[in-house]
Parts: sequence; structure tokens; C-alpha cells
Amino acid sequence: MQSISLAYRQLNALILGKPLQIRLALTCVLAGGHLLIEDVPGVGKTTLAHALAGVLGLDYRRVQFTSDLLPADMLGVSLFRPDEGRFEFQPGPVFSQLLLADEINRASPKVQSALLEAMEERQVSIDGRTHALPKPFFVIATQNPDGQLGTFPLPESQLDRFLMRISLGYPSPESERALLLAGDRRQALSALPAALNAGELLALQQKATQITVSSALAEYVLALLLASRKRELFMHGLSPRAGLAVLAAARAWAMLNGRDHVLPEDVKAVFVAVCAHRLQSRLPGMNSIDAAQRLLDHVPLA
Amino acid sequence: MRSEPRLAHFAVLAALALTVLPLFLQLPPWVPLLFALQLGGRAWLAWQDRQLPHRVWLLLAMIVPVLLLWLSLRTLVGREGGVALLLLLTGFKAFETVTLRDWRVLLGLGFFLAATPLLFDQSLPSALWLLLSLFVLTWAMVLLAGVDSAASPRAAALALLYAMPLMLLLFVAMPRLPGPLWSMPTMDQRATSGLSDSLAPGSIGQMIPSREPAFTAQFRGRQPVREQLYWRVMVFDRFDGARWTAGSVPDSGAALASGAAGELSYSITATPFKGALPVLEHAVWAGEGVQQVAAQLLRRIDARNEARLRYDVRSVAQAAYPAALSAEQRDHYLQLPAANLRTRQQGEFFGRQFRDEAGRLVALRAWLQQQGLRYTLSPPLLQGDVVDDFLFSSRQGFCEHFASAFATLARAAGLPARIVVGFQGGEFNTGGQFWLVRSSDAHAWTEVWLQGHWQRVDPTALVAPSRVVSEVGELVPEAQAVVPVLGRRPPAWWRSAHAQWQRAGFVWQQWVVDYDARRQQSLFQRLGLGRVGVGSVMTVLLLGGVVLVLPLLLWLLWRRPPPRSYPVRGWQLLVLRLQQAGVAAQASDTPAQLRDKAKGLAPSLQQQLARLLADWQQWRYAEGATDADPRWRGWWWQVRHFRPPRLAASGFSASGKATMD
Repeated sequence: MQSISLAYRQLNALILGKPLQIRLALTCVLAGGHLLIEDVPGVGKTTLAHALAGVLGLDYRRVQFTSDLLPADMLGVSLFRPDEGRFEFQPGPVFSQLLLADEINRASPKVQSALLEAMEERQVSIDGRTHALPKPFFVIATQNPDGQLGTFPLPESQLDRFLMRISLGYPSPESERALLLAGDRRQALSALPAALNAGELLALQQKATQITVSSALAEYVLALLLASRKRELFMHGLSPRAGLAVLAAARAWAMLNGRDHVLPEDVKAVFVAVCAHRLQSRLPGMNSIDAAQRLLDHVPLA
Repeated sequence: MRSEPRLAHFAVLAALALTVLPLFLQLPPWVPLLFALQLGGRAWLAWQDRQLPHRVWLLLAMIVPVLLLWLSLRTLVGREGGVALLLLLTGFKAFETVTLRDWRVLLGLGFFLAATPLLFDQSLPSALWLLLSLFVLTWAMVLLAGVDSAASPRAAALALLYAMPLMLLLFVAMPRLPGPLWSMPTMDQRATSGLSDSLAPGSIGQMIPSREPAFTAQFRGRQPVREQLYWRVMVFDRFDGARWTAGSVPDSGAALASGAAGELSYSITATPFKGALPVLEHAVWAGEGVQQVAAQLLRRIDARNEARLRYDVRSVAQAAYPAALSAEQRDHYLQLPAANLRTRQQGEFFGRQFRDEAGRLVALRAWLQQQGLRYTLSPPLLQGDVVDDFLFSSRQGFCEHFASAFATLARAAGLPARIVVGFQGGEFNTGGQFWLVRSSDAHAWTEVWLQGHWQRVDPTALVAPSRVVSEVGELVPEAQAVVPVLGRRPPAWWRSAHAQWQRAGFVWQQWVVDYDARRQQSLFQRLGLGRVGVGSVMTVLLLGGVVLVLPLLLWLLWRRPPPRSYPVRGWQLLVLRLQQAGVAAQASDTPAQLRDKAKGLAPSLQQQLARLLADWQQWRYAEGATDADPRWRGWWWQVRHFRPPRLAASGFSASGKATMD
């Protein structure tokens, strides 16, 4: 636990004025889920992803997604070795503990599918042979909001492979002033010491699953799910998978806050990040984030 | 499976359309048609998931129909105007219906609209339609509440059933208005049609036909035809030039006459008008409680009793009376004031011209028919010599004008004449097999002494026969009672079903529609509650509530799912107490949020609250937490005694934020 709060402090020192998003990102990692960071260019998406990889002490690779990227560029290829007379598998960048998928929505649907399959199965099948991905395995994907030219928006069915979606947003004036005076953060990034290693992270993830969820809390999450299906806020209600995702994230959040049981406030803290990208608002002039928040504001705790 | 909200929306629109279907018979057809189009349009938008039109467009689109309504009805108030306007506005309301709350408002309007057909028609079919409408509306409400669509019809039926005792109670207890709402005169110089104790043609500018029932009559055996039904109530025989009143010279035909031809036997239920009761011409026998007096009129024996009574009478087609008028009587019936010179000259001219009295009467009638008089309920006011003014100048009027003019003419021509005031015709109620005579059937006609008896002359019928003759179906009630099936008599099952239906209609009429202020009064008196007033109504409501509603309520409570646990109830109570103290607390807040919001409370209360919240959180969410924990009882007790005082003028509203509808 010491190490995780150290990681939190380090990240906060690097990315100014975004403690909530950093906490959510760490929660996502502790819950063993993939993270989607969505925002306009230049607000520090990639920096956050790099920094996460750095402080977690993971082996990471970065793939810049473009429209001409092929699945093999990411997954790897089998090369023929004439001297040895056999094929040898050359693993692609996906075989890393942390894959940074930059601008995921610029890649063709084919590549997106390949990546999302790897995320779900945590293994890759090439030429009839299955290659397990390393443990832990995370994807942190960034994407620009839809509507930009040359993008392939991820379909909803693939969006829900990501445990959370967060946006950074513009920094506050104070943070931005500090940023302007301190200069480019990429320098600091390379100097970032690792606060954890892969083994410790796996242990923490294991610990997070042990956090207590009482029947009353399960009732509360159930009430949220049911309300999302009944109310007229959304096109479709939340799936059972979304419910499990909320609980997993809430457990990690509770652990980050040093508790051994989940409280409704943990659920509320992670709910929008976990659920907004799985929902479509029905109400005119209200996006799914606002609608999810509205749902939280109206479902009683008891 | 939970019902889809869109299904509920379609259900609301369909229920609205069904509810107002009977209005097609009552309003200009384009109004309900437009309403149906509006609902259809809204349903199409919902089906296509399209945006609703902007409010500005709605406002603009409203102008044309409302203008059209004004042009076709010349009013936007009253029964037709009001209902039509309500219908159109409801149709437009459907186009700004978005949230659940909007849909509920629309449904509420539907419940209101469901009552409007009753303003036009209160018969049994209308009532059955209302019941159907109520069921469909309730069904839509149940769907809107998110009840499973398969279980919804049952839930709706149960909801209506549970409401029944309360409905009955309110029906019996709520004070009745003394008459229909829409005939209340709103300006002076108007009158509702009905009777008064004198007759002054020309003093009333407009007659509002009042649909209020005046009395009912049931015939045994032979049924009358509508034109026969001249219900006599009063006779006016003195004229002062402007006003006819009842004179003091008695008629010689005071005793009951004899006769047998075309006997009609009937009973009437009526309220005496200054002791006078309606009766047909030539009554030969009168039952208990009433007596026949001069001029073939009927009076109650205890004339001061103004309560409604039922009495039996027998009338014949023609009865024998004393053959001659005495000289004194003759003078009385020929009396005329000096006014109305032209009319008198006209009458005297006929008197000189025709020596034969019968020929004189024929000539008078023919002359009146040729004057181009027009029947209207809103004639111009008359001044000075009212009869001259009417006959030779305005030429517009209703029965009183005609009767007064003809009686004046006849007297001037030397024929003894008088005016009879009462009712003409009535509406045959096939369901109950009785005639319902309404205030709007009030009528005045003339009688002329000719060849030894009083002969009825209805000058209104000479000019406007439609006032007396009505639809064929009403003329021959027997014609409605059987349906010709291929020229044969209808089968037995049909006849018995028809008879049952008629009985149901009569029972409905008698027990529900006729339950008016008077019957309520008599019921209250029979129950020993005295006059219908605040006290007695409250007594009935309370007693009825205890007897009818309370057992149902207890039964429903007993059947309710087991009570919620202490932590759940306690949480809701805690939030309520904070709200009552003026804290903007919500049941969806976390304990930490509640603590923050309660910062305005006194420190000791804050501490108390913090402890309650901490315990709640710990015992509910920590490992091994269960609602069966014995500590909850004590905690619940503490919550019940946690009563923070109201914060003085804080910025929060007690009810907090609006709900999510």
C-alpha cells in the first residue's frame, strides 16, 4: 500500500491538477481493467499513460495507431528461418505488460478488433498457435473525441472491454501556469523512478478482489443497474458485465482509500468512469456522463 | 420483462383517443378529428424517434384551429366551446410531452377529458363508455409506472376496484349543485326556460334552454303521442297590456269531468310549483295527495309542501264540461286593457267580418300564419304596446309572444280566451320507459271558448311546427322497442336482452343520474343527518370511510410485502428529518455528503448525526454486516428521536432538488 500511494504522489507531481483522474487511472489498474483516455490532443493523455507505465515499473511498448497499421504490426509475425528450416514467431508490441495504444480510433476496424480480442482473451492466436500474453497485461488506449477526420469510432460492444473511460480536460489556470513555468514534462517523465514492480502489482490486484462487498452494497449496485434499465435516461440499460465492472472498480477504489470494505461512496466515485461509455443518453442536450451522474443523484442508498 | 417506455407512451395516446370518441357525436366533427390527427402525429414522432417541434411552432400552429373554433361556435367557453378548446389544447400538449412527468400530466388531462362526454349525455351507454375509458387510462398509467406489460391489465383492474368504495362514498356524500352548471345565467335579461308566476312577453331578451329535468311521467297501458302531451300547470286570464296574470274569477269546470274515449293512465313525479302540478288536459281522475281545481289544473292538497311527490292521474281525449259560460265569466275572459290599439282593431275587424265563431277562429289562425312571424329564443326586447310591437314590428318571439298575441286577438274578436302555461312534449326514455320533461320543454299556449268547451289553440305550432313535433323516433316510442329482423318479430332472447337493457337504463337513470340535490337531501334526512351541510357531509364521509374504506385499507396493508428493515427505514427517516430541518438532503446522498450538507446544524446535532451515519455505514457495509443485526433496533430508536429544528431562512429548499421524472 505504501508503494501505491508513492506512485500516486509521483503521478500527481508530474501531471498537475488532475488528482481525481490519476486516482481513477490507478483504480483501473488495480482492478485489472483496461483504461481508455479520451480527450482532445495536447492535454496530456499520452503523458499520463507513459507516467503510469513508468511508476508501475512495467515493461511497456507504445503503438501509434494509424489507418495503415496492420494486425500483424501489432500482434507479431511468424518468420521463416531458412537455416533452421522452421518458422519462428516474432512477437509484436502487444506482448508487453503495458501496451500504450495511442489514438486507437485512427486505426482500421480490423486492427481495433485484433487488439480488443487480445484485451479480452489475454492471449493471441497466430497461425493456429496460441501465445499467452504476459502478466500483468494492460492496455491504456487514448483516443480523440469522435467527429475528427479520419477516425473509426469504436463500436459500443468494443468500448465495454475498457473498464473505465476518463477524460483529462483542460488544466486549471494555476496548474497551467505552473506547467508553463516548469517547461516540458517529458524531461521529468524519463526521470520518473518506478514505485512498484510487476509482482507487487499482481499482489495488489489479488488483494483488491478480497475487499468485502456486503449484501446491502450489492443491493445498491443492483438498484443502479435496474434504474438504468427502467428510466428513460438511456437507450439501453447497463449489462450484468457492467455491474461486475462497477464492483471491481469500487473494490479497488476502496482499497486505495485504505478500507477493507466497499461503501456506496466508492461506487459513486467510480460509477461514471465505469459506466458512461457503456451508455447512450436518451435525453436531448445531455451526454451520457451527465445522464449517468443524474442516475446516481436519484437512486437512494436505501 | 419490464414494459418499454415507448409502449406506455403509445398506450397513453391510444387511451386519450378512445376516451374522447363519444365527442364525435357532440362537437363539430373536425374538432375530434383534428385531435385524433394530433395524437396520431405525436405517436408517429415517438415511433420514428424524432425531435418534437419547437414551442414557437406549436404556438403558431395553435392560432388556426382556435380561430376556426371561434368561427364555427362563436364562443370558446360554455359546454361545446370549452370542451372543444380543451380537446385542441390537449392535442397540442401532446407535442411538448417529453419526460415521464409530462406523460403523467397528459394522462391526467385524459382523466379530465373522460368526464366531458357526460356534459352532453348521461345515459347508460355513456356511463359504460366512461368505465371503459377509466380502465384504459388506468392501464396506461400502470404501464407508465413501469409495471410489467403482461401483469398490467390486472394491476389496472385492481386499482380501479380498490377505488370503487371511495368513489361510491364520494358519490353519495358530495353536495350536489342545484342544477346543471352550464345553464346558469351569466347576464341579466336572460332567463332559463321554465315557469314563472306571470307572463310578460318582450321583457326577456334571451331564453337559455335549460336541460334540467322538470318532472317525469310514466304511462301505463296506452302510450301517448308526443303532440298530445300538453302538460298544464297554470292558467293566466288577466292582461294589463304588458303582463298576464292569474285572475280571481273561478272556472265552472272545477269538478272532474267525465269521459272514456282514449283514456291515458299515468303517474307523474314532480315538484309543485307554488302548489301547482303538471297534468294533461281532460283529467277525469286524480289520485292521492292531489286535487283538480279550476281550469283543468291540478294542485297539491297540502299546497305549502314544496317537496317532490308522485301522483296518479287519468286523462281522456275529450271530456264534457258545462255547456255555457256565465255572463260574468264571459266578461272576464274577454277583458282587454286599452293598450295595443292596432291588435285590437285587427281583432275587432274579424269580429265584425265573421258572425260564426268557428269561422272567426279559423280566420284568426290563418291571419296569424300569414304575418311572417319567426320563432326564436333570442327576440329583441319589446317596448310600449308589446303586442302591437311584436305583431307588426319585430315579428320575432317564442311561445309566450305568440300565445299573448293570439289571446289578445281572440278577445278583441269577441272570443273568450286564456293562456295556459306548462310544458309541451318531453323526451321518451326508452331505457326507463318514461317521459322526461325538461325545463326547456316549458311552453305557453292559448285556449278559446268555442261551442261549449275550451278548445286548445297553439299559435306557436301554427308558426313553428317543429317546436311541437319532434323526431319520429321520439314520436312513436313503440317503434324503437322492437328491431325488425328480416320482417319477423325479433327472437325471444333478443327481446329478453332488450328488456334487461331497458331495466338497467332505468335503474341507472333512477339511482345515479336522478340523484340530485333533492334526493340527496331526502336520503340525508332518512339517515337522520338533517340538512346537507358541512357537518353532515363530513359525518357521512367519516362514517363511510370507517365502514367502507378502512377495512379495504387494512386488508391492503396486511397483504403488503413485509416491512422494510430498520436500516432502510431509518435511512429514509433520517433524510426526511434533515429535509424537514431545511437541509437539502437526498436519499441518494452518501453519509459523507449528508454530513457536509448538514454543516448548518448545531454542533451537538452534527455530532449526533455523524455518529448515526458512521454506525449505519459500519453495520451495513463492513464485513459480516447484516440487517438482522440486533444493534439496528437501538439505532432506529435514536433516529426516531433525532429531530433537528428548522434552520432559519437557509438557502436550501426543504424538498431539495426536483425528482427525476
